[in-house]
Amino acid sequence: MFSRILVANRGEIALRIIRACRELGIETVAVFSEADRDAGWLHLAKHRICIGPGPSAESYLNIPRIIAAAELSDVQAIHPGYGFLSENPHFAEVCRSCKIEFVGPSVEAMRTLGDKIEAKRLARAARVPVAPDSDGAVETVEDAVAVAERIGYPVAIKAAAGGGGRGIRFVHNEATLRSSLKQAQHEAEIAFKDGRVYMEKCVENFRHIEVQILGDMRGNVVHLFERECSLQRRRQKVIEEAPAFNLDSNIREEMCRAAIRLAKEVGYFNAGTVEFMLDEETNEFYFLEVNTRVQVEHPITEMITGEDLLKWQLRIASGEPLTLRQRDIAPAGHAIECRINAEDPARDFAPSPGRIEAFVAPGGPGVRWDSHIYQGYAVPPTYDSLLGKLIVHRHTRDEAVNTMRRALSEFVIYPTKTTVSLCRDVLNHQAFRKGRCNTAFIEREIVPSME
Amino acid sequence: MDIEEIRKLVALMVENDLAELDVSDGENKIKLRRGPSGEVVMGAAPAPVPAAAQAEAQPPAAVEGPGRDLVEIKSPMVGTFYAAPGPDSDPFVSAGSTVGPDDVVCVVEAMKVMNEIKAECAGQIVEICVTNAEPVEFGQVLFRVGPG
Repeated sequence: MFSRILVANRGEIALRIIRACRELGIETVAVFSEADRDAGWLHLAKHRICIGPGPSAESYLNIPRIIAAAELSDVQAIHPGYGFLSENPHFAEVCRSCKIEFVGPSVEAMRTLGDKIEAKRLARAARVPVAPDSDGAVETVEDAVAVAERIGYPVAIKAAAGGGGRGIRFVHNEATLRSSLKQAQHEAEIAFKDGRVYMEKCVENFRHIEVQILGDMRGNVVHLFERECSLQRRRQKVIEEAPAFNLDSNIREEMCRAAIRLAKEVGYFNAGTVEFMLDEETNEFYFLEVNTRVQVEHPITEMITGEDLLKWQLRIASGEPLTLRQRDIAPAGHAIECRINAEDPARDFAPSPGRIEAFVAPGGPGVRWDSHIYQGYAVPPTYDSLLGKLIVHRHTRDEAVNTMRRALSEFVIYPTKTTVSLCRDVLNHQAFRKGRCNTAFIEREIVPSME
Repeated sequence: MDIEEIRKLVALMVENDLAELDVSDGENKIKLRRGPSGEVVMGAAPAPVPAAAQAEAQPPAAVEGPGRDLVEIKSPMVGTFYAAPGPDSDPFVSAGSTVGPDDVVCVVEAMKVMNEIKAECAGQIVEICVTNAEPVEFGQVLFRVGPG
Protein backbone atom coordinates (compact mmCIF):
# COMPACT_ATOMS: atom_id res chain seq x y z
CA MET A 1 0.00 0.00 0.00
CA PHE A 2 1.22 3.50 -0.72
CA SER A 3 2.58 5.56 2.12
CA ARG A 4 2.06 8.92 0.45
CA ILE A 5 0.07 10.10 -2.55
CA LEU A 6 -0.71 13.37 -4.25
CA VAL A 7 -4.28 14.51 -4.78
CA ALA A 8 -4.45 16.24 -8.14
CA ASN A 9 -7.89 17.72 -7.82
CA ARG A 10 -10.01 20.02 -5.70
CA GLY A 11 -13.37 20.38 -4.01
CA GLU A 12 -15.53 17.49 -3.01
CA ILE A 13 -13.57 14.79 -4.82
CA ALA A 14 -10.29 15.93 -3.33
CA LEU A 15 -11.93 15.64 0.06
CA ARG A 16 -13.29 12.20 -0.84
CA ILE A 17 -9.83 10.99 -1.85
CA ILE A 18 -8.28 12.43 1.31
CA ARG A 19 -10.89 10.63 3.41
CA ALA A 20 -10.10 7.27 1.81
CA CYS A 21 -6.39 7.88 2.29
CA ARG A 22 -6.82 8.75 5.94
CA GLU A 23 -8.61 5.47 6.52
CA LEU A 24 -5.90 3.52 4.70
CA GLY A 25 -3.05 5.22 6.53
CA ILE A 26 -1.82 6.99 3.39
CA GLU A 27 -0.32 10.45 3.81
CA THR A 28 -1.83 12.97 1.45
CA VAL A 29 -0.27 15.86 -0.41
CA ALA A 30 -2.93 18.19 -1.74
CA VAL A 31 -2.06 20.57 -4.54
CA PHE A 32 -4.08 23.74 -4.81
CA SER A 33 -4.39 26.91 -6.83
CA GLU A 34 -4.35 30.42 -5.40
CA ALA A 35 -8.13 30.51 -5.77
CA ASP A 36 -8.35 27.61 -3.32
CA ARG A 37 -5.73 28.86 -0.88
CA ASP A 38 -8.14 29.16 2.03
CA ALA A 39 -10.18 26.05 1.25
CA GLY A 40 -11.13 23.82 4.16
CA TRP A 41 -10.35 20.41 2.66
CA LEU A 42 -6.67 21.35 2.53
CA HIS A 43 -6.51 21.17 6.30
CA LEU A 44 -7.31 17.48 6.16
CA ALA A 45 -4.33 16.75 3.92
CA LYS A 46 -0.99 16.14 5.57
CA HIS A 47 0.82 18.52 3.23
CA ARG A 48 -0.24 21.06 0.69
CA ILE A 49 1.52 22.75 -2.16
CA CYS A 50 0.39 25.74 -4.14
CA ILE A 51 0.92 25.00 -7.81
CA GLY A 52 -0.35 28.07 -9.57
CA PRO A 53 -2.88 30.83 -9.99
CA GLY A 54 -6.62 30.22 -10.24
CA PRO A 55 -7.06 29.35 -13.92
CA SER A 56 -7.07 25.59 -14.34
CA ALA A 57 -4.60 25.64 -17.21
CA GLU A 58 -2.02 27.01 -14.83
CA SER A 59 -2.88 24.81 -11.90
CA TYR A 60 -5.07 21.73 -11.88
CA LEU A 61 -4.48 21.06 -15.57
CA ASN A 62 -0.81 21.93 -15.49
CA ILE A 63 1.14 18.71 -15.82
CA PRO A 64 4.66 20.07 -15.21
CA ARG A 65 3.60 21.83 -12.03
CA ILE A 66 1.75 18.83 -10.68
CA ILE A 67 4.64 16.50 -11.45
CA ALA A 68 7.09 18.95 -9.89
CA ALA A 69 4.97 18.97 -6.74
CA ALA A 70 4.81 15.18 -6.80
CA GLU A 71 8.58 14.84 -7.05
CA LEU A 72 9.18 17.47 -4.44
CA SER A 73 6.95 15.70 -1.98
CA ASP A 74 8.19 12.25 -2.90
CA VAL A 75 4.83 10.56 -3.46
CA GLN A 76 4.32 7.08 -4.82
CA ALA A 77 1.12 7.80 -6.67
CA ILE A 78 -1.22 10.51 -7.90
CA HIS A 79 -4.99 10.28 -7.68
CA PRO A 80 -6.49 12.46 -10.42
CA GLY A 81 -10.10 12.39 -9.18
CA TYR A 82 -12.59 13.14 -11.96
CA GLY A 83 -12.46 15.87 -14.59
CA PHE A 84 -9.17 17.79 -14.97
CA LEU A 85 -6.42 15.30 -15.92
CA SER A 86 -8.23 12.13 -14.88
CA GLU A 87 -8.85 10.95 -18.43
CA ASN A 88 -5.68 12.36 -19.95
CA PRO A 89 -3.53 9.46 -21.16
CA HIS A 90 -0.53 11.72 -21.62
CA PHE A 91 -0.66 12.67 -17.95
CA ALA A 92 -0.94 9.03 -16.90
CA GLU A 93 2.04 8.26 -19.10
CA VAL A 94 4.14 11.07 -17.65
CA CYS A 95 3.33 9.94 -14.10
CA ARG A 96 4.31 6.37 -14.71
CA SER A 97 7.47 7.31 -16.59
CA CYS A 98 8.46 9.33 -13.51
CA LYS A 99 7.91 6.19 -11.46
CA ILE A 100 4.76 7.63 -9.91
CA GLU A 101 1.71 5.40 -10.12
CA PHE A 102 -1.40 6.92 -11.68
CA VAL A 103 -4.55 5.77 -9.88
CA GLY A 104 -6.51 4.61 -12.88
CA PRO A 105 -6.28 2.18 -15.79
CA SER A 106 -3.46 1.63 -18.25
CA VAL A 107 -2.44 4.38 -20.66
CA GLU A 108 -3.47 2.10 -23.52
CA ALA A 109 -6.96 1.58 -22.14
CA MET A 110 -7.34 5.33 -21.60
CA ARG A 111 -6.20 6.07 -25.16
CA THR A 112 -8.46 3.48 -26.75
CA LEU A 113 -11.54 4.27 -24.70
CA GLY A 114 -10.96 8.01 -24.93
CA ASP A 115 -11.27 7.81 -28.69
CA LYS A 116 -14.98 7.23 -29.21
CA ILE A 117 -14.46 5.63 -32.60
CA GLU A 118 -11.91 3.16 -31.23
CA ALA A 119 -14.12 2.54 -28.21
CA LYS A 120 -16.98 1.46 -30.45
CA ARG A 121 -14.68 -0.86 -32.39
CA LEU A 122 -13.64 -2.39 -29.11
CA ALA A 123 -17.27 -2.73 -28.03
CA ARG A 124 -18.06 -4.59 -31.24
CA ALA A 125 -15.10 -6.89 -30.69
CA ALA A 126 -16.41 -7.64 -27.20
CA ARG A 127 -19.90 -8.37 -28.57
CA VAL A 128 -21.32 -5.35 -26.78
CA PRO A 129 -24.35 -3.93 -28.61
CA VAL A 130 -23.64 -0.64 -30.40
CA ALA A 131 -25.99 1.71 -32.17
CA PRO A 132 -25.81 1.54 -35.95
CA ASP A 133 -23.18 4.03 -37.04
CA SER A 134 -20.75 5.20 -39.66
CA ASP A 135 -18.18 2.64 -38.47
CA GLY A 136 -15.34 5.11 -38.42
CA ALA A 137 -14.78 8.80 -39.06
CA VAL A 138 -16.94 10.62 -41.59
CA GLU A 139 -15.00 13.01 -43.76
CA THR A 140 -17.05 14.35 -46.63
CA VAL A 141 -20.61 15.53 -46.84
CA GLU A 142 -21.37 12.85 -49.42
CA ASP A 143 -20.08 10.14 -47.08
CA ALA A 144 -22.25 11.59 -44.34
CA VAL A 145 -25.37 11.58 -46.50
CA ALA A 146 -24.74 7.98 -47.49
CA VAL A 147 -24.34 6.94 -43.84
CA ALA A 148 -27.53 8.74 -42.86
CA GLU A 149 -29.38 7.02 -45.65
CA ARG A 150 -28.18 3.68 -44.40
CA ILE A 151 -28.90 4.17 -40.71
CA GLY A 152 -31.87 6.51 -40.98
CA TYR A 153 -32.62 9.92 -39.47
CA PRO A 154 -32.40 11.33 -36.90
CA VAL A 155 -28.64 10.92 -36.58
CA ALA A 156 -26.11 12.20 -34.11
CA ILE A 157 -22.79 13.65 -35.27
CA LYS A 158 -20.30 12.97 -32.50
CA ALA A 159 -16.72 14.08 -31.99
CA ALA A 160 -14.31 11.15 -31.70
CA ALA A 161 -12.40 12.97 -28.97
CA GLY A 162 -15.50 14.19 -27.22
CA GLY A 163 -17.28 12.60 -24.32
CA GLY A 164 -19.41 13.53 -21.35
CA GLY A 165 -22.10 14.87 -23.63
CA ARG A 166 -19.76 17.27 -25.41
CA GLY A 167 -19.31 17.50 -29.15
CA ILE A 168 -22.70 16.03 -30.08
CA ARG A 169 -25.13 17.41 -32.62
CA PHE A 170 -28.49 15.95 -33.56
CA VAL A 171 -29.48 16.13 -37.20
CA HIS A 172 -32.99 15.42 -38.44
CA ASN A 173 -32.73 15.70 -42.19
CA GLU A 174 -30.36 15.80 -45.12
CA ALA A 175 -30.38 19.57 -45.50
CA THR A 176 -29.26 20.08 -41.91
CA LEU A 177 -26.71 17.32 -42.27
CA ARG A 178 -25.19 18.99 -45.31
CA SER A 179 -24.89 22.30 -43.51
CA SER A 180 -23.76 20.92 -40.13
CA LEU A 181 -20.99 18.50 -40.96
CA LYS A 182 -18.16 20.91 -41.64
CA GLN A 183 -19.11 22.99 -38.65
CA ALA A 184 -19.16 19.95 -36.39
CA GLN A 185 -15.70 18.98 -37.60
CA HIS A 186 -14.43 22.50 -37.08
CA GLU A 187 -15.85 22.70 -33.54
CA ALA A 188 -14.31 19.37 -32.69
CA GLU A 189 -10.94 20.59 -33.93
CA ILE A 190 -11.14 23.65 -31.71
CA ALA A 191 -12.54 21.96 -28.63
CA PHE A 192 -10.62 18.70 -28.68
CA LYS A 193 -7.76 19.31 -31.16
CA ASP A 194 -9.15 16.40 -33.14
CA GLY A 195 -11.55 17.16 -35.93
CA ARG A 196 -12.70 13.58 -36.48
CA VAL A 197 -16.42 13.01 -36.18
CA TYR A 198 -18.54 9.91 -36.61
CA MET A 199 -22.26 9.44 -37.03
CA GLU A 200 -24.58 7.29 -35.05
CA LYS A 201 -28.25 6.40 -35.10
CA CYS A 202 -29.99 8.73 -32.76
CA VAL A 203 -31.89 7.38 -29.85
CA GLU A 204 -33.35 10.69 -28.89
CA ASN A 205 -34.97 10.03 -25.58
CA PHE A 206 -33.28 7.19 -23.90
CA ARG A 207 -32.61 6.06 -20.37
CA HIS A 208 -28.98 6.55 -19.46
CA ILE A 209 -27.88 3.46 -17.55
CA GLU A 210 -24.30 2.84 -16.58
CA VAL A 211 -22.47 -0.06 -14.97
CA GLN A 212 -19.71 0.36 -12.39
CA ILE A 213 -16.74 -1.93 -12.88
CA LEU A 214 -13.63 -2.61 -10.86
CA GLY A 215 -10.64 -4.51 -12.18
CA ASP A 216 -7.28 -5.39 -10.71
CA MET A 217 -3.91 -5.65 -12.37
CA ARG A 218 -4.22 -9.42 -12.57
CA GLY A 219 -7.15 -9.42 -14.96
CA ASN A 220 -9.97 -9.89 -12.46
CA VAL A 221 -12.98 -7.72 -13.19
CA VAL A 222 -16.24 -7.42 -11.30
CA HIS A 223 -19.24 -5.18 -11.73
CA LEU A 224 -21.06 -3.39 -8.94
CA PHE A 225 -24.35 -3.16 -10.75
CA GLU A 226 -25.86 -0.22 -12.47
CA ARG A 227 -26.89 3.38 -11.93
CA GLU A 228 -29.66 5.27 -13.65
CA CYS A 229 -28.60 8.74 -14.68
CA SER A 230 -31.40 9.84 -16.98
CA LEU A 231 -32.24 12.97 -15.05
CA GLN A 232 -30.05 15.46 -16.85
CA ARG A 233 -30.10 19.06 -17.82
CA ARG A 234 -28.13 20.02 -20.90
CA ARG A 235 -26.52 16.60 -20.78
CA GLN A 236 -25.19 17.14 -17.28
CA LYS A 237 -26.49 14.71 -14.67
CA VAL A 238 -28.63 16.15 -11.92
CA ILE A 239 -30.11 13.16 -10.10
CA GLU A 240 -28.89 9.58 -10.12
CA GLU A 241 -30.20 6.40 -8.57
CA ALA A 242 -29.08 2.86 -7.92
CA PRO A 243 -30.31 0.38 -8.85
CA ALA A 244 -32.11 1.57 -12.00
CA PHE A 245 -35.82 1.67 -11.36
CA ASN A 246 -38.09 -0.72 -13.22
CA LEU A 247 -35.28 -2.28 -15.16
CA ASP A 248 -35.97 -5.74 -16.50
CA SER A 249 -33.62 -8.10 -14.68
CA ASN A 250 -32.55 -9.76 -17.93
CA ILE A 251 -31.53 -6.42 -19.37
CA ARG A 252 -29.66 -5.63 -16.17
CA GLU A 253 -27.77 -8.88 -16.38
CA GLU A 254 -27.01 -8.39 -20.07
CA MET A 255 -25.67 -4.90 -19.48
CA CYS A 256 -23.50 -5.92 -16.54
CA ARG A 257 -22.07 -8.89 -18.42
CA ALA A 258 -21.44 -6.71 -21.47
CA ALA A 259 -19.58 -4.21 -19.30
CA ILE A 260 -17.30 -6.93 -17.97
CA ARG A 261 -16.63 -8.31 -21.46
CA LEU A 262 -15.64 -4.85 -22.62
CA ALA A 263 -13.37 -4.30 -19.64
CA LYS A 264 -11.61 -7.59 -20.18
CA GLU A 265 -11.27 -6.94 -23.91
CA VAL A 266 -9.12 -3.89 -23.19
CA GLY A 267 -7.36 -5.28 -20.10
CA TYR A 268 -9.05 -2.70 -17.89
CA PHE A 269 -7.98 -2.27 -14.30
CA ASN A 270 -9.02 0.12 -11.51
CA ALA A 271 -12.44 1.80 -11.47
CA GLY A 272 -14.44 2.51 -14.59
CA THR A 273 -17.99 2.99 -15.75
CA VAL A 274 -19.54 1.61 -18.91
CA GLU A 275 -22.42 3.80 -20.09
CA PHE A 276 -25.35 2.56 -22.13
CA MET A 277 -28.41 4.12 -23.68
CA LEU A 278 -31.59 2.14 -23.26
CA ASP A 279 -34.24 2.73 -25.90
CA GLU A 280 -37.44 2.54 -23.89
CA GLU A 281 -39.58 1.71 -26.85
CA THR A 282 -37.61 -1.22 -28.19
CA ASN A 283 -35.87 -2.28 -24.95
CA GLU A 284 -32.64 -2.35 -26.91
CA PHE A 285 -29.55 -0.99 -25.26
CA TYR A 286 -26.47 0.39 -26.94
CA PHE A 287 -22.96 1.19 -25.79
CA LEU A 288 -22.37 4.88 -25.24
CA GLU A 289 -18.88 5.28 -23.79
CA VAL A 290 -16.57 4.25 -20.97
CA ASN A 291 -15.48 6.69 -18.29
CA THR A 292 -12.00 5.64 -17.26
CA ARG A 293 -12.11 7.19 -13.80
CA VAL A 294 -14.14 7.36 -10.62
CA GLN A 295 -17.40 9.20 -11.23
CA VAL A 296 -19.22 11.94 -9.41
CA GLU A 297 -22.12 9.61 -8.64
CA HIS A 298 -20.02 6.79 -7.21
CA PRO A 299 -21.63 7.16 -3.72
CA ILE A 300 -24.92 5.57 -4.72
CA THR A 301 -23.12 2.40 -5.77
CA GLU A 302 -21.20 2.49 -2.50
CA MET A 303 -24.44 2.72 -0.55
CA ILE A 304 -26.18 -0.22 -2.18
CA THR A 305 -23.14 -2.51 -2.22
CA GLY A 306 -21.44 -1.42 0.99
CA GLU A 307 -18.12 -1.10 -0.85
CA ASP A 308 -15.76 1.90 -0.65
CA LEU A 309 -14.79 2.54 -4.26
CA LEU A 310 -12.04 5.04 -3.50
CA LYS A 311 -10.32 2.60 -1.18
CA TRP A 312 -10.53 -0.05 -3.86
CA GLN A 313 -8.97 2.35 -6.34
CA LEU A 314 -6.01 2.89 -4.04
CA ARG A 315 -5.61 -0.81 -3.24
CA ILE A 316 -5.71 -1.76 -6.90
CA ALA A 317 -3.27 0.97 -7.89
CA SER A 318 -0.82 -0.23 -5.27
CA GLY A 319 -0.93 -3.69 -6.84
CA GLU A 320 -3.27 -5.45 -4.46
CA PRO A 321 -5.67 -8.03 -5.87
CA LEU A 322 -9.41 -7.58 -6.02
CA THR A 323 -10.61 -9.80 -3.22
CA LEU A 324 -14.20 -9.08 -4.14
CA ARG A 325 -15.96 -11.90 -5.89
CA GLN A 326 -18.93 -11.24 -8.11
CA ARG A 327 -21.16 -13.53 -6.09
CA ASP A 328 -20.35 -11.58 -2.92
CA ILE A 329 -21.63 -8.31 -4.35
CA ALA A 330 -25.33 -8.02 -3.69
CA PRO A 331 -27.19 -4.74 -4.00
CA ALA A 332 -29.34 -3.86 -1.02
CA GLY A 333 -31.96 -1.17 -0.86
CA HIS A 334 -32.24 1.90 -3.05
CA ALA A 335 -30.03 4.96 -3.20
CA ILE A 336 -30.63 8.36 -4.79
CA GLU A 337 -28.18 11.21 -5.27
CA CYS A 338 -28.97 14.86 -5.94
CA ARG A 339 -26.15 17.05 -7.21
CA ILE A 340 -26.37 20.50 -5.67
CA ASN A 341 -24.83 23.20 -7.87
CA ALA A 342 -24.27 26.89 -7.21
CA GLU A 343 -26.62 27.92 -10.00
CA ASP A 344 -29.75 30.04 -10.03
CA PRO A 345 -32.68 28.14 -11.55
CA ALA A 346 -34.68 31.37 -11.75
CA ARG A 347 -32.05 32.94 -13.99
CA ASP A 348 -31.48 30.12 -16.43
CA PHE A 349 -29.03 28.46 -14.05
CA ALA A 350 -26.60 31.36 -14.06
CA PRO A 351 -23.62 30.57 -11.81
CA SER A 352 -23.86 31.86 -8.25
CA PRO A 353 -20.31 32.07 -6.85
CA GLY A 354 -19.29 33.98 -3.74
CA ARG A 355 -19.19 33.55 -0.01
CA ILE A 356 -21.67 31.22 1.66
CA GLU A 357 -22.78 33.29 4.62
CA ALA A 358 -25.12 30.76 6.18
CA PHE A 359 -25.02 27.02 5.72
CA VAL A 360 -26.66 24.07 7.40
CA ALA A 361 -26.36 20.55 5.96
CA PRO A 362 -29.13 17.95 6.07
CA GLY A 363 -28.70 14.88 8.25
CA GLY A 364 -30.47 12.08 9.99
CA PRO A 365 -31.00 8.43 9.08
CA GLY A 366 -30.23 7.32 5.57
CA VAL A 367 -28.58 10.62 4.63
CA ARG A 368 -25.02 11.19 3.34
CA TRP A 369 -23.67 14.62 2.32
CA ASP A 370 -20.46 14.55 0.28
CA SER A 371 -19.22 18.09 0.02
CA HIS A 372 -16.33 20.47 0.57
CA ILE A 373 -18.47 23.47 1.48
CA TYR A 374 -19.18 25.00 4.86
CA GLN A 375 -20.37 28.25 6.28
CA GLY A 376 -17.93 30.97 5.33
CA TYR A 377 -16.59 29.13 2.28
CA ALA A 378 -16.14 31.32 -0.76
CA VAL A 379 -17.21 29.51 -3.93
CA PRO A 380 -14.68 30.58 -6.56
CA PRO A 381 -16.04 31.57 -9.98
CA THR A 382 -13.18 29.77 -11.70
CA TYR A 383 -14.29 26.16 -11.54
CA ASP A 384 -17.41 24.01 -11.90
CA SER A 385 -20.44 24.84 -9.81
CA LEU A 386 -20.81 21.60 -7.86
CA LEU A 387 -21.31 22.37 -4.16
CA GLY A 388 -21.94 18.85 -3.02
CA LYS A 389 -23.86 15.64 -3.42
CA LEU A 390 -26.81 14.70 -1.27
CA ILE A 391 -27.22 10.94 -1.11
CA VAL A 392 -29.93 8.90 0.59
CA HIS A 393 -30.13 5.16 1.03
CA ARG A 394 -33.18 3.27 2.26
CA HIS A 395 -34.74 -0.17 1.87
CA THR A 396 -37.17 0.86 -0.84
CA ARG A 397 -37.32 3.51 -3.53
CA ASP A 398 -40.44 5.08 -2.05
CA GLU A 399 -38.75 5.50 1.29
CA ALA A 400 -35.61 6.85 -0.38
CA VAL A 401 -37.68 9.44 -2.26
CA ASN A 402 -39.37 10.43 0.97
CA THR A 403 -36.08 10.75 2.82
CA MET A 404 -34.57 12.77 -0.04
CA ARG A 405 -37.49 15.21 0.05
CA ARG A 406 -37.05 15.62 3.78
CA ALA A 407 -33.28 16.06 3.46
CA LEU A 408 -33.56 18.63 0.65
CA SER A 409 -35.91 20.69 2.78
CA GLU A 410 -33.34 20.85 5.58
CA PHE A 411 -30.77 22.73 3.53
CA VAL A 412 -29.94 26.26 4.57
CA ILE A 413 -27.65 27.87 1.99
CA TYR A 414 -27.53 31.66 1.91
CA PRO A 415 -27.12 33.82 -0.11
CA THR A 416 -25.82 31.41 -2.74
CA LYS A 417 -28.44 30.34 -5.23
CA THR A 418 -28.57 26.58 -5.72
CA THR A 419 -30.31 23.81 -7.59
CA VAL A 420 -31.96 22.51 -4.41
CA SER A 421 -35.28 23.79 -5.75
CA LEU A 422 -34.76 22.01 -9.07
CA CYS A 423 -34.14 18.73 -7.26
CA ARG A 424 -37.12 19.28 -5.02
CA ASP A 425 -39.38 19.89 -8.03
CA VAL A 426 -38.17 16.71 -9.70
CA LEU A 427 -38.64 14.66 -6.55
CA ASN A 428 -42.18 15.99 -6.20
CA HIS A 429 -43.15 15.23 -9.77
CA GLN A 430 -45.54 12.36 -10.43
CA ALA A 431 -43.48 10.94 -13.26
CA PHE A 432 -40.39 10.77 -11.08
CA ARG A 433 -42.20 9.02 -8.27
CA LYS A 434 -43.40 6.45 -10.78
CA GLY A 435 -39.90 6.12 -12.17
CA ARG A 436 -40.88 7.18 -15.66
CA CYS A 437 -38.18 9.59 -16.69
CA ASN A 438 -35.88 9.72 -19.65
CA THR A 439 -33.11 12.13 -20.58
CA ALA A 440 -35.57 14.75 -21.84
CA PHE A 441 -37.56 14.90 -18.62
CA ILE A 442 -35.97 17.78 -16.75
CA GLU A 443 -35.79 20.12 -19.69
CA ARG A 444 -39.32 19.35 -20.81
CA GLU A 445 -41.22 19.08 -17.58
CA ILE A 446 -39.33 20.90 -14.86
CA VAL A 447 -37.25 23.75 -16.26
CA PRO A 448 -40.09 25.59 -18.05
CA SER A 449 -42.01 26.03 -14.82
CA MET A 450 -38.97 27.41 -13.04
CA GLU A 451 -38.53 30.47 -15.18
CA MET B 1 -16.02 59.08 -7.52
CA ASP B 2 -14.79 61.42 -4.80
CA ILE B 3 -14.75 61.08 -1.06
CA GLU B 4 -17.87 63.24 -0.65
CA GLU B 5 -19.89 60.95 -2.86
CA ILE B 6 -18.62 57.93 -1.00
CA ARG B 7 -19.55 59.55 2.31
CA LYS B 8 -23.06 60.07 0.96
CA LEU B 9 -23.29 56.43 -0.10
CA VAL B 10 -22.18 55.26 3.32
CA ALA B 11 -24.75 57.48 4.99
CA LEU B 12 -27.38 56.09 2.65
CA MET B 13 -26.48 52.56 3.65
CA VAL B 14 -26.60 53.24 7.35
CA GLU B 15 -29.85 55.20 7.09
CA ASN B 16 -31.56 52.44 5.17
CA ASP B 17 -29.85 49.62 6.97
CA LEU B 18 -28.43 48.20 3.77
CA ALA B 19 -25.94 45.38 3.95
CA GLU B 20 -24.56 45.79 0.48
CA LEU B 21 -24.46 48.51 -2.13
CA ASP B 22 -23.08 48.16 -5.64
CA VAL B 23 -22.80 51.34 -7.68
CA SER B 24 -21.62 51.61 -11.28
CA ASP B 25 -21.07 54.88 -12.99
CA GLY B 26 -19.63 54.25 -16.41
CA GLU B 27 -16.15 53.00 -15.69
CA ASN B 28 -16.27 53.68 -11.98
CA LYS B 29 -17.55 50.87 -9.87
CA ILE B 30 -17.69 50.63 -6.14
CA LYS B 31 -18.96 47.93 -3.86
CA LEU B 32 -19.66 48.71 -0.26
CA ARG B 33 -20.46 46.08 2.29
CA ARG B 34 -21.50 46.55 5.89
CA GLY B 35 -20.11 44.03 8.30
CA PRO B 36 -21.83 42.64 11.40
CA SER B 37 -20.14 45.26 13.56
CA GLY B 38 -21.82 47.94 11.47
CA GLU B 39 -18.58 49.02 9.78
CA VAL B 40 -18.62 49.76 6.12
CA VAL B 41 -15.84 48.03 4.27
CA MET B 42 -14.94 49.17 0.80
CA GLY B 43 -14.23 46.81 -2.02
CA ALA B 44 -12.69 48.12 -5.18
CA ALA B 45 -13.40 46.85 -8.66
CA PRO B 46 -12.37 46.93 -11.69
CA ALA B 47 -11.76 43.47 -13.14
CA PRO B 48 -13.04 40.50 -11.15
CA VAL B 49 -9.97 39.17 -9.39
CA PRO B 50 -10.35 36.20 -7.04
CA ALA B 51 -10.08 36.94 -3.32
CA ALA B 52 -8.19 40.20 -3.49
CA ALA B 53 -11.01 42.46 -4.67
CA GLN B 54 -13.79 40.93 -2.57
CA ALA B 55 -14.21 42.97 0.58
CA GLU B 56 -14.62 40.84 3.65
CA ALA B 57 -16.93 42.18 6.32
CA GLN B 58 -14.21 41.91 8.92
CA PRO B 59 -11.94 44.27 10.80
CA PRO B 60 -9.05 45.32 8.58
CA ALA B 61 -5.42 44.19 8.56
CA ALA B 62 -5.96 40.42 8.41
CA VAL B 63 -3.27 40.05 5.79
CA GLU B 64 0.17 41.37 6.49
CA GLY B 65 1.68 43.29 3.65
CA PRO B 66 5.43 43.46 3.22
CA GLY B 67 5.38 46.90 4.82
CA ARG B 68 7.89 49.65 4.33
CA ASP B 69 7.62 49.68 0.52
CA LEU B 70 9.17 46.23 0.16
CA VAL B 71 8.56 44.33 -3.06
CA GLU B 72 8.25 40.58 -2.86
CA ILE B 73 9.87 38.30 -5.42
CA LYS B 74 7.65 35.22 -5.56
CA SER B 75 8.33 31.85 -7.08
CA PRO B 76 6.59 31.43 -10.45
CA MET B 77 6.77 27.68 -10.20
CA VAL B 78 6.88 24.63 -7.98
CA GLY B 79 10.37 23.29 -7.41
CA THR B 80 13.58 23.49 -5.44
CA PHE B 81 15.22 26.83 -4.68
CA TYR B 82 18.92 27.20 -5.27
CA ALA B 83 20.74 30.35 -4.23
CA ALA B 84 23.74 29.82 -6.49
CA PRO B 85 24.31 28.63 -10.07
CA GLY B 86 26.25 25.60 -8.85
CA PRO B 87 27.21 23.90 -5.59
CA ASP B 88 30.62 25.54 -5.52
CA SER B 89 29.60 28.94 -6.80
CA ASP B 90 28.81 32.11 -4.97
CA PRO B 91 25.13 32.88 -4.51
CA PHE B 92 23.54 35.08 -7.14
CA VAL B 93 22.63 37.68 -4.52
CA SER B 94 22.99 38.32 -0.84
CA ALA B 95 21.39 40.69 1.63
CA GLY B 96 22.27 44.17 0.50
CA SER B 97 22.86 43.27 -3.18
CA THR B 98 21.50 45.75 -5.66
CA VAL B 99 19.32 44.21 -8.35
CA GLY B 100 17.76 45.37 -11.59
CA PRO B 101 14.74 43.80 -13.31
CA ASP B 102 16.78 41.48 -15.54
CA ASP B 103 19.19 40.27 -12.89
CA VAL B 104 18.99 36.61 -12.02
CA VAL B 105 18.37 36.27 -8.29
CA CYS B 106 18.13 32.49 -7.97
CA VAL B 107 17.35 29.23 -9.69
CA VAL B 108 14.24 27.14 -9.14
CA GLU B 109 14.71 23.59 -10.32
CA ALA B 110 11.65 21.70 -11.48
CA MET B 111 11.86 18.25 -12.97
CA LYS B 112 15.58 18.47 -13.62
CA VAL B 113 15.25 21.78 -15.43
CA MET B 114 17.04 24.74 -13.86
CA ASN B 115 14.95 27.87 -14.26
CA GLU B 116 16.66 31.19 -13.72
CA ILE B 117 14.42 33.56 -11.82
CA LYS B 118 14.78 37.26 -12.58
CA ALA B 119 14.20 40.03 -10.06
CA GLU B 120 11.68 41.87 -12.26
CA CYS B 121 12.07 44.83 -9.98
CA ALA B 122 14.87 47.22 -8.97
CA GLY B 123 16.30 47.83 -5.53
CA GLN B 124 18.27 46.22 -2.75
CA ILE B 125 17.77 42.74 -1.39
CA VAL B 126 16.51 43.26 2.14
CA GLU B 127 15.60 39.69 3.03
CA ILE B 128 16.25 36.22 1.65
CA CYS B 129 13.20 34.23 2.68
CA VAL B 130 14.17 30.71 1.77
CA THR B 131 17.22 28.53 2.30
CA ASN B 132 19.32 26.77 -0.30
CA ALA B 133 17.76 23.53 -1.61
CA GLU B 134 14.44 24.27 0.03
CA PRO B 135 11.28 23.11 -1.81
CA VAL B 136 9.12 26.05 -2.84
CA GLU B 137 5.55 26.26 -4.02
CA PHE B 138 3.98 28.58 -6.57
CA GLY B 139 3.69 32.07 -5.15
CA GLN B 140 6.08 31.49 -2.26
CA VAL B 141 8.01 34.60 -1.27
CA LEU B 142 11.71 34.17 -2.12
CA PHE B 143 13.14 37.64 -1.56
CA ARG B 144 12.07 41.00 -0.25
CA VAL B 145 13.48 43.97 -2.08
CA GLY B 146 13.66 47.48 -0.70
CA PRO B 147 14.22 50.76 -2.50
CA GLY B 148 17.76 50.98 -3.87
